[in-house]
Amino acid sequence: MKKSIHFRVNGIDTAIEVETHQMLLQVVRESLGLTGAKFACGIQVCGTCTLLLNGKPVSGCSVLAVDADGSDVLTVEGLAKDGQLHPLQEAFMEFGALQCGYCTPGFLLTAKALLDENPHPSEEEIRSYLAGNFCRCGCYQEIMRAIQKVAGR
Amino acid sequence: MKPFEYLEPTTVSEACALLKKGGGEARVFAGGALMTILMKEGLLEPKTLINIKRISGLKGIDFHPQEGLAIGALVTHHELETSGIVKEKLPILCAVEKDVANIRVRSMATVGGNLASGEPLTDLPQVFIALDARIKIASSSGERVMPLEDLYVDYYQTRLAGDEIVTQVIVPPVPERTGIEYIRFSSSSVVDKPCVGVATRISLGPQRLCQTVRIVLGCVGPTPLRAKKAEALVAGKPLDPKLAEEAGAVATGECSPVSDLRGSERYKRAVVGVLVRRALAQAYESASRS
Ligand SMILES: Cc1cc2nc3c(=O)[nH]c(=O)nc-3n(C[C@H](O)[C@H](O)[C@H](O)COP(=O)(O)OP(=O)(O)OC[C@H]3O[C@@H](n4cnc5c(N)ncnc54)[C@H](O)[C@@H]3O)c2cc1C
Ligand code: FES
Ligand code: FES
Repeated sequence: MKKSIHFRVNGIDTAIEVETHQMLLQVVRESLGLTGAKFACGIQVCGTCTLLLNGKPVSGCSVLAVDADGSDVLTVEGLAKDGQLHPLQEAFMEFGALQCGYCTPGFLLTAKALLDENPHPSEEEIRSYLAGNFCRCGCYQEIMRAIQKVAGR
Repeated sequence: MKPFEYLEPTTVSEACALLKKGGGEARVFAGGALMTILMKEGLLEPKTLINIKRISGLKGIDFHPQEGLAIGALVTHHELETSGIVKEKLPILCAVEKDVANIRVRSMATVGGNLASGEPLTDLPQVFIALDARIKIASSSGERVMPLEDLYVDYYQTRLAGDEIVTQVIVPPVPERTGIEYIRFSSSSVVDKPCVGVATRISLGPQRLCQTVRIVLGCVGPTPLRAKKAEALVAGKPLDPKLAEEAGAVATGECSPVSDLRGSERYKRAVVGVLVRRALAQAYESASRS
């Protein structure tokens, strides 16, 4: 069954027809060409597919696209504004908070959601909020420092 | 995933009518945390999916001094975790939520779905049962209220009929001098589902005797389960370390864990004993302090 959905993706009003059983990640990557978010585990465990839905982190791999009808979706492509990288992106580069980069879009968006909710989180609060994002290259210390810098800690 | 018909009712009665019409082929869809996995794996292939998220009446958290806390079925884990009123009235719920799954699941998945799924490896049922919570259930023929404890039948099986929807969880006001504790043990990573979860509540009577005792074990049987023999052992007495230890030992015999990747049956029983002992001691202490 097909359904038309209307949502804002990175601030742009978007209307698209999807299959009701399609996942949001697939629509964002394959229909909209926004390939920052990645597929890995497919069961909400790893966080590489993280998207912000109305400002909150969700697993694109496990959210039906029809469920995003009427929502605001932010992907990593929408993080920079007017050619200016987001402070988190600058900090990730400064601290070398990535190697292969597969997990990076998910970490950036999750960290953004955290800072929007709680601009000056403690180390403990950062660890807890990001506990569901995995980095198989093991850049956790650098990721921590980058986020702490933006959090003013 | 198999294609399905997708519907978005905006009222509870509309949703119940659609469920009834769908017979066994229509399913409620809330946060989708469990549903999407089951459907992707082909373990569940509903003909009709009834997304209840557009029903505004199922959202929000209220507090009434007599009734207690009323939590809408669509309240997400993260909303419960960060709710001001919950933090004030029942901070234990916020603390429990911090360790549920990860932030993405907590942002999407709902309290109603967590309780109604009958999933064995969850945290909320044992905590709500320890608080004597009731659930409100709507169907195409009316409404009923049931103690949460009575909802569960077996793994993934509840007493909900095919056209019934959980609409609210009601937590009655907690008596004075009550201590509530939840200890969740995770045998791999913190974001994994729990291996064992033990909730305890002690409400004190005169002379610091344990008047009401709840010991609820999660993840160690087909359903969350009250360790009633252990509760009876403690009731009417003051708690000391020896009694807490004995209650733990009794509780280990009341559950029926199965060996899996989170631990062997014997190991889980041992964990139950330790957690019951600790959770009782902590609940007793905080009840005595309050
Ligand atoms: C990776 C992962 C980790 C998790 N870790 C934990 C954990 O540590 N602790 C924990 O407690 N839970 C955990 N969960 C479970 C999660 O918290 C969800 O609460 C749960 O899976 C279902 O909630 P949902 O709203 O997504 O329901 P759905 O997936 O939409 O539905 C689940 C079931 O309940 C039914 N249903 C849903 N809402 C209602 C309703 N209002 N009335 C009647 N029936 C209804 C559906 O028909 C379906 O059968 C985890 C889940 C995942 C995917
Ligand atoms: S691919 Fe979605 S959480 Fe791993
Ligand atoms: S940078 Fe490679 S997985 Fe994180």
